[in-house]
Amino acid sequence: MGITLKRQIGSFFGNLLVFLLIIYILGPFLWMAIASFQGENELLKRPPSIIPQNPTTDNYRYVFTGEIPTAYEVKGQLRSRISQEARLIAPALKNSFIVAIVVMVINLLIGTPAAYTFARINFRGKALWYNFILGSRLIPVMAVAIPYYVIIKNLKLLDTYQGLILIYCALTLPFTIWFLSMYISNIPREMEDAALVDGCTPFQALVNIVVPLMAPGLVAASAFAFMTSYNEFLFARLITQSIKSQTGPVIIASIAGNPDASYSLISVCITLGLIPPLILAITMRKWLTEGLSASITFR
Amino acid sequence: MTTLDHAVIRRKAKLWDRLYPYFSVLLPILVIGLFTIYPVLYAVRISFYQYILTKPKVHPFVGLANYIEVVTSYYFRNSLINTAVYTVAAVIGITLFGLGVALLLNSKIRSANALRVIILLPWAIPAVVGGLIWKWILNSDFGILNGILYAAGFIKEYIPFLANPNLAKLSLIMAAIWKEGPLAAIFFLAGLQLIPNELYEAAKIDGGGGWKIFRHVTLPLLKPIILIVVIYETITAILVFDLIYVMTGGGPGDATSMISWFAYAEIFKNLNLGHGVALAVIIALIILALILAYLRIIKYEEVVG
Repeated sequence: MGITLKRQIGSFFGNLLVFLLIIYILGPFLWMAIASFQGENELLKRPPSIIPQNPTTDNYRYVFTGEIPTAYEVKGQLRSRISQEARLIAPALKNSFIVAIVVMVINLLIGTPAAYTFARINFRGKALWYNFILGSRLIPVMAVAIPYYVIIKNLKLLDTYQGLILIYCALTLPFTIWFLSMYISNIPREMEDAALVDGCTPFQALVNIVVPLMAPGLVAASAFAFMTSYNEFLFARLITQSIKSQTGPVIIASIAGNPDASYSLISVCITLGLIPPLILAITMRKWLTEGLSASITFR
Repeated sequence: MTTLDHAVIRRKAKLWDRLYPYFSVLLPILVIGLFTIYPVLYAVRISFYQYILTKPKVHPFVGLANYIEVVTSYYFRNSLINTAVYTVAAVIGITLFGLGVALLLNSKIRSANALRVIILLPWAIPAVVGGLIWKWILNSDFGILNGILYAAGFIKEYIPFLANPNLAKLSLIMAAIWKEGPLAAIFFLAGLQLIPNELYEAAKIDGGGGWKIFRHVTLPLLKPIILIVVIYETITAILVFDLIYVMTGGGPGDATSMISWFAYAEIFKNLNLGHGVALAVIIALIILALILAYLRIIKYEEVVG
């Protein structure tokens, strides 16, 4: 009896803890989503309504079509809180998306062969190059922010996708190469050895034998590269100047930094901006978790 | 004739085989090298010159003056103390959060499965956006946290979370745990799953209770992972920037001005590149020292354990 009671209390507290954690983790996302369906006047109430009294899609309509929400016409002064900038969120997310996809593909195309070489082939200076690649990520971004800007300016790539892509490749390739080379060295090499004896080149062995075996690792590495690029802020802020190349985080931070911007519109932008990474995190959960777990338990 | 052709082909193939490794790593090394060697040289050089953007024509060599001016300034001491307080609190918070969540996920509590689905979400989003969400939740006039506390009767007046020096620090730490804790949880879970079940069963047969098993079986076996998480999160905390940029802007006053923020402010607000970059070099040295210490501990572990 004593034990079952103790167990019941334990499971009660366990469940309570899980519940509180879910609120802590999910609450901020839910509140953004809820707020994006409310009019500004409802959000500025004390206390604001957690359950929308008059749910509306007006805020979204404004962002996509420019039609001013009716809630803003109730009070004259609220009109000024309409931020034109909010309408930039769709093109900004498109920019983020294109840049992140290209960075991801480049990581796969040039990162995978490099990782394979580091994992399997001996060549002169291998340890030196490997440590150089890994060590490059230890430099605090603040130290190199200005030189990065200078490089991109000299290459005439300010305010372009190419500039962002170049920087993000430099930021993501070290992790991709390290992660994939660890992954490859955990794959038994008998099949490749047999293929090499049969006259296969290392590149053929990689493409035909190793790539199918490392598919989960490739999925995880792609997701990491995509997320790093999609989420990066400092360099994007530094080298983009117009909506031609400004990414989601830059536009969101800029709208929110405007003291006059409306909270409903900010939450629409945030909600829209979060949809891709959240979908990725939920659908790729298995691979991401395995990839992250592997990255800490690899030896 | 055919034998000659074969020989040529074979020689070419051999040359290509020898060159292939270099070729395969060339592009990544070029890209990474471009954004490593030049920037580091550039940064180190700038740190020895006067580089003030409001005086664009004069760049005299000033030796260590930038370093001395930065290190002896009030703001340096202030940001160092702030960074230390924030780092210790955030690392402890993140480690405990990660460990707690990992233990729940590894337990038999069924509702924890829901946690498994959502745990990665805060980690997956941009830090600036995470910071913005928290900033608004904590808003002193319209924030939902104040709204809930007020509606529930816990407070009579709205609390200015981000305008009070101590509460602002606490708010940053809370947002950091939210953003970074999930990664720690996944790492700890990976560590827990490496512990063979037989060990727990053996401990149970020996009459160990929950806490005893945790203390004497789980914790020692988790030590290497704890070490990695602590070092990684320490580095992340020392470099914290995005959260401060959107949540507090270093304020109120200079209560949340951490060392990375200080470097940013020197470069982009005071437009004193020399100072900012000298600071960044100092940060880099601190990080390097931490990593060397970490590698030493790992080696020590390997030798001892």
